[in-house]
Parts: sequence; C-alpha cells; structure tokens
Amino acid sequence: MSFEPASEAAIHELTLPNGLRVAFAPMPWLPTLSVTLSLPLGSATDPDGLEGSANVLHEWLQRGAGDLGSREYSDALLDLGVRRGGGSGRERSNLSFAFLASVAEPALGLLADSVVRPRFEDAEFEPSRELALQELESLKDAPTQLLFEELQERLFESPQRRSGYGTEAGLRALSPEGVRRDAAARLGPSGAILGLAGGGKWDELQAVVANAFGGWSGVNVPLPAAALAPVGRHHVDAESTQMQIGLGFPSPAPGTDDAYTYQVALEVLSGSMGARLFTEVREKRGLVYSVSAFYRSLRGFGYTLGYAGTTVERAAETLEVFLAELGRMAEGVSAAELERARTGLLSSVVMSGEATGSTAGRLANDIALFGRPRTLAEISGRIEGVTLQAVNDYLAANPIPEPTVVTLGPKP
Amino acid sequence: MRGDDLRFDEATLANGLRVIGEHNPNAATTGMGYLVHTGSRDETPEVAGVSHFLEHMVFKGNERYSAEDINRTFDELGAEYNAFTSEERTVYFGSVVADRVGALLDVLSELMRPSLRQADFDVEKKVILEEIAMYQDRPSRRLFEHANERFWNSHPLGNSVLGSTKSVSDLSRDQMQAYFDRRYAPGNVILAVAGNYEWDAVLAQATERAGQWPAFETHRDYPAASTFAGHEEIVDANLHRLHAAYYAPGVAVEDPDRYAASLLASVIGAGDGSRLYWELVDKGLADNASLSHEAQEGAGSFVGYVSTDPERADAVLEEYLKVIKDAQEHGITQDEWRRAQLRTATGLTFRAETPMGRLMSFATNYQTLGEYQSLTELVNEVMETPLEAGARLLEARPFDRDYLVTLGPKD
Repeated sequence: MSFEPASEAAIHELTLPNGLRVAFAPMPWLPTLSVTLSLPLGSATDPDGLEGSANVLHEWLQRGAGDLGSREYSDALLDLGVRRGGGSGRERSNLSFAFLASVAEPALGLLADSVVRPRFEDAEFEPSRELALQELESLKDAPTQLLFEELQERLFESPQRRSGYGTEAGLRALSPEGVRRDAAARLGPSGAILGLAGGGKWDELQAVVANAFGGWSGVNVPLPAAALAPVGRHHVDAESTQMQIGLGFPSPAPGTDDAYTYQVALEVLSGSMGARLFTEVREKRGLVYSVSAFYRSLRGFGYTLGYAGTTVERAAETLEVFLAELGRMAEGVSAAELERARTGLLSSVVMSGEATGSTAGRLANDIALFGRPRTLAEISGRIEGVTLQAVNDYLAANPIPEPTVVTLGPKP
Repeated sequence: MRGDDLRFDEATLANGLRVIGEHNPNAATTGMGYLVHTGSRDETPEVAGVSHFLEHMVFKGNERYSAEDINRTFDELGAEYNAFTSEERTVYFGSVVADRVGALLDVLSELMRPSLRQADFDVEKKVILEEIAMYQDRPSRRLFEHANERFWNSHPLGNSVLGSTKSVSDLSRDQMQAYFDRRYAPGNVILAVAGNYEWDAVLAQATERAGQWPAFETHRDYPAASTFAGHEEIVDANLHRLHAAYYAPGVAVEDPDRYAASLLASVIGAGDGSRLYWELVDKGLADNASLSHEAQEGAGSFVGYVSTDPERADAVLEEYLKVIKDAQEHGITQDEWRRAQLRTATGLTFRAETPMGRLMSFATNYQTLGEYQSLTELVNEVMETPLEAGARLLEARPFDRDYLVTLGPKD
C-alpha cells in the first residue's frame, strides 16, 4: 500500500519586505485556488476591558476596502465568483477567499485592499458590533459550543482563556476610534501569513501578491505565552435535556517530535469509530451519541479537549468511563492499534491534501504555530516514523494528566 | 478535474443493482457509496425513525462481521467513512487512498446485508435516543422538526428522519427487519464510485458481492402536496434567541426549473451578499437571515431561517417577509441573477475537488433523474439558466402560500 500525496511539488515561499510571509502549494490539476490570510490578532491580544475588539475589527475589515464601499466591495467579489470565509479566534483571525485561479489577480487585489487600504467607515462600525453581540447571545442557545467556551475559560490562566466572541461588556465598551487605534497597533504585515493552494503558476502569483500586499505597513503586538490554570472541576447551570461534558489537559507543542508521537496515541484513543472512546462509551454501553477527544494547538502550545453529551442520569457513568480510558493510555497501545492509527492519520493527510481550502489553511497554520510550512511528504514521513516503542515509552513517561472538567446542564 | 480527463462508467447487474462511476486519473483517493432509495418518506407512522435507526444498525454487522470487525476493517483501510439518512435516501460511504478500492467495496457490501441482532438493537436504541435528546437542545433543529412536519401537512416529506422518543422506544427489531425486507431491494440501490479505480475490477467485484442479493419490487408513494400556510408561535421561556422557520412551496427535483428556483433563493437569501443579508444581517439586526430551495422527488420547498433578538423580532420578521414579497412583486435584476449563477457554479467546482464531494453530486442526481451529469454540464446548466425562468417562478406567486413559525422566549 502506498501513501502518495496528491501533490509531490515543493511548497513555494516568499517573505515580502514588509514581513508578510507567503506560501503556495501548487495543485496544477485543479482550476480552483484557495487563499487564507492569517492575521496576528485574536481575543488573547485584545486590549483589557475591550474583549471582542479583534472580532469586531475582523468584521469591520470586510465592509468595504480601497475605493469601494461595503456594498460595492461585496458586489465586486460576487462578480468574480469569490466565496468568502474565515473567522476570528483566540490568537489569530483569518480572511479566506476561494475562487477560480483564472481570476487570481483581481481577487487577490480585493483581499489585499481589506488590510492595505481598510476603510473603517463609522457607519459600518455599529452593525459590526451589533452582529458580534448577537452571535455572543446565540451561543446561549447552543449548549455544545457554549461548553467549549466555558471549558477553555477555565482551562487557561493566560489570555488564551478568552472566547473569540469577546464579552458583552467588552463589546459594549468599543468605539470606532478605539478599534481604529487597535488596528493601528495590531494589523501589521510582519506577523501576517498568506497561504495559497490550488491551480496557478508561482511566478505569476508571487508577482500579483507582491504588488497587492507590498504597500501594507503597520506593527503588531506580541502574543502572550499560553499558560494553564490549576486543574479543577466546574459546573455551569443551563436548561437542557443533555448534560454537556467537556475536559481539557495539556499536550505536546505543535510541530515537535512528541506531538507526532502523541497524535498517533490520540488516534488510538479517539481517531475513529473503531477507536477506544467510541467503542467503550458508545458501542458497548450506548451512553452517548457523540464522544471524542481532539488535539488543539496555539503558538508553541498544544492541548487536548474531550467531549461527551449524554442525558443527565447517565452523565456520571459517562465521565467515569471517559476518565478510565484516559488513564488506561498509560498502559500503552497494541501493535495492531498503532498500525491502524498510523494508517488513519496517513490516509487523512492524503485526503486533506486533495482540497485547496484545507491545504491553504494548513500552510498558514504551520507558519503561525511553528514558523514554517510542511509538505504532505514531511507530515507523512513523520507519522510513519512513529514506532510502537516510541508511543509506549512516551505514554509510560507522560500519562494523560488529570484534566480540568466542565459540565454544562441541569444542576447535578 | 479537467473535464476531458473524466470518464463515466455505468452498468446494471442482473438483479437490478446499478453500478456507476466517474473515473478521474488525477485523483489520489477514491470515494465509494451505496445509495439506498429509502428514507423517512417511506415510513408509516408506527415505525417513524426506522430508516435512520437502521442506518446505525447496518454498522453492527452480520454473521461474518461483528460491529467491532467492521469498525476495525474500516480503520485498517484508513477509510474516512460514514452514513446519513434523509427523507429520500440512506447513503453509506467511504473514501480511501486509491489502491484500497477493493477492500472498501468488500466491507461496504458486507454492511448492506445486516443481521440486526437483538442485543445490538437494544444498545443502539439508547444511542438514537441520545441523538434525539441532543437535537432537543438545539432550538433551530427542534424548530425545523416541527416546521417540516406542519408545512408538509401529512405529505410523507413531512416525516421526521429521527422519529420521536416514543416511536423509537416502541420500535421492535422485527419491524426494522420487515422495513429492510421491503426497501433494501437491489433495484432500489446504486453503488457509486468516484476517483481513481479500475472499472472492470469494480464491476466484477460488485457482481460477486452484490449480484446475488435477491431482487424484489419496491414502491414509493408520490401523493400530491397540499402544503400548510399561516403563522405560528411556539414559546419556550428557557431560550435566549428568537428562531424562525420559513417555508413556501417550491419545485420538484424533476422540474426543469429546479436550478432557477435555487438561484432565485440565492438572490433573495444566500448567506452573504443576498437581499436578506443586506437588509438584516449586514445591518446587525439578525445574526442569520437566509432562504434556500430544496428540490425533492415530486415536490419542493423554499426554506428559510432567522435568528435574532427577541426584543426586535417583530420588526425583523416583518422586514424578512417584506424582502421576500418585494422580490415576488417587483422581480430581481440581471446583475443579481448572474452573481447567484457565479456563486453556485464556483461552489460546485470547489465541491468537486475531492472524489467524495463529486460523488455526492453526480450519484444523487443519477439516482433521482436517471442520468449522469458531468461537472462541466452541471456548471453550464446553471450558467445558462435564464433570468426569465426565475421570473416565471415568481409569477406563480409561491410566497403567497407561505408558512412562518417562531420559537423563542417571547409570548
């Protein structure tokens, strides 16, 4: 069996004189091109008392740019068939465009305008803030998402604990002048990354990118180091049918040798419907519809979040089985489990490499998290290099730490 | 994905099972799926939810494969796999790197002959009840369960896919077996494959694995729809937002105007850059205000959703309806139409990047309409749909017969 990645071509890289890092993964058989502009602004660097500033700034940035007002800008994108995406997170915010490679020049020009020539019109500020407030309020009707916000708020000591949505008080304290000042402090090119993947020729694309983004200037604020709060157990009252159970604990930092070893181990725990958690919690006991544990990364910091949703009377048993499976990891995994886990991870590397959007996002993430993009071949090679001995030595020396647990639902 | 590289393959086995494929020499992976032409619209009220429950039970295996064997086999292949049930079909699918196509076809074929063991049935029933409980906690989902049933007004498209806590609790293993024996006929199933594969090998293996499944007749009812119109309000003091569902009669999937209906909905209510977006979301009055079109067999619907603050719900809903009615009264412009065409065509092209994305599009289309459409043909059909087709749909005044239901804390 082989794991030939879809693209064997090298990744092209470029750093503009203003500091913007650019990486392109060619997928010449595709007519499509996806672009992720990753900006070094998120809730962790929001000014104190103004939590949600990055979120509103991210929305405001998309409301017109350069010579075009909000409506004209949106129409110009639609005229090119550009599909917009992205979002605002804890450490970074993304603007994502997906379009046909044949319109790369005008589409990249419009993307660049939003950061090089932002308009920040007063009239667009209030609706941007209103939208952020409404999305924050909508969280209250979405218990699973709310659980993850509550969990991470208690998991971290550092500002990474802050929800990407911001807080109601923070959002209400924002002003157009304040967010403009914030943009002047944080919206610089030196911490920004442009990831591109799909059809198109590198020599043409790099000229387009240099031309479009070359005039961007500005500074950034440093990201605080992620740090965890003391381990604890917490309950959040909510009216719901199910009890939402979340847990979190530290894991190896992204890009390190340990991270590859750990990800193989985590795949044994929760990578598939044949993995331990699904088998023990759902297949054997029918305790849940949904149960999982997954790796998350911040700059230089890795952690794992776990989730299970179950009706209230079965919550205690569900948590007990979940914790027992975490504890059992210290005993190691079998050769067959390891083989399946590696196969699963290698296979998903190939599959994610077929789509331009996930590839562009991966390039930007890699640079943001550990400073350089990885080829699919490198990722595959690192996973293939994880041996049974390495996984079991790692797990014996690093048992899963006691997690912080948050439950959300009716009073237990 | 260059159009001239692709090849369509098609065969029908002696027992009526159709095997189709779209071969793409550039693909690194292969997607495959069994599409069963059965869903909640084929259920009687006593067995509401059986299609979806059966979809779970299929993964529990048979005398040759236990549930653990099945999960382990998929894992050994590195397969990304899953299944889903809708009103109209139940689909079992997986993707693998291209040299494992044979092994994937083996295990997927094994799924289609389940034993439905009582012990597995009892455990899985608890999982389904947890799934229903999970959706109870999602107001928009709860709202659409109600709204869909009410709008379709006893038409089978109003049948709930999940069923209710009561219908699932009361369901027996034998009732599920009877449903399987009535619906899972080879003539009611398509095996579809997309990406990199060898057609002769796939066809030979499909014949060996599925060619012996006994043939029998199946039947689906297509009663005329007489949809519900009016306004309703459901109060739940525990909620924080006002959620609204909107329905109006649309066109069936067989209708040549199906793309026009979907473009029309896109002009009015796509997530970004549509009329509803500009009037409600852009202004920060609602965090969601959308409209789409769903074409199903024999009938279709325009379906919309609004999420907003309870305090301004009246004004927001009034504006929502006004935007839709205004389009009906005064029509839409050529610019808007062209942008919706481009948006749709680009979306189709992006979904086709992966074999599995492509498979879902051409295989469901083939199952419903009995014909293959390449991506190029599909994109051309969208781009060539004239504005006049949208105008014709509006002349029939579908939004005069609309249904709006709200769920929120407001009384």
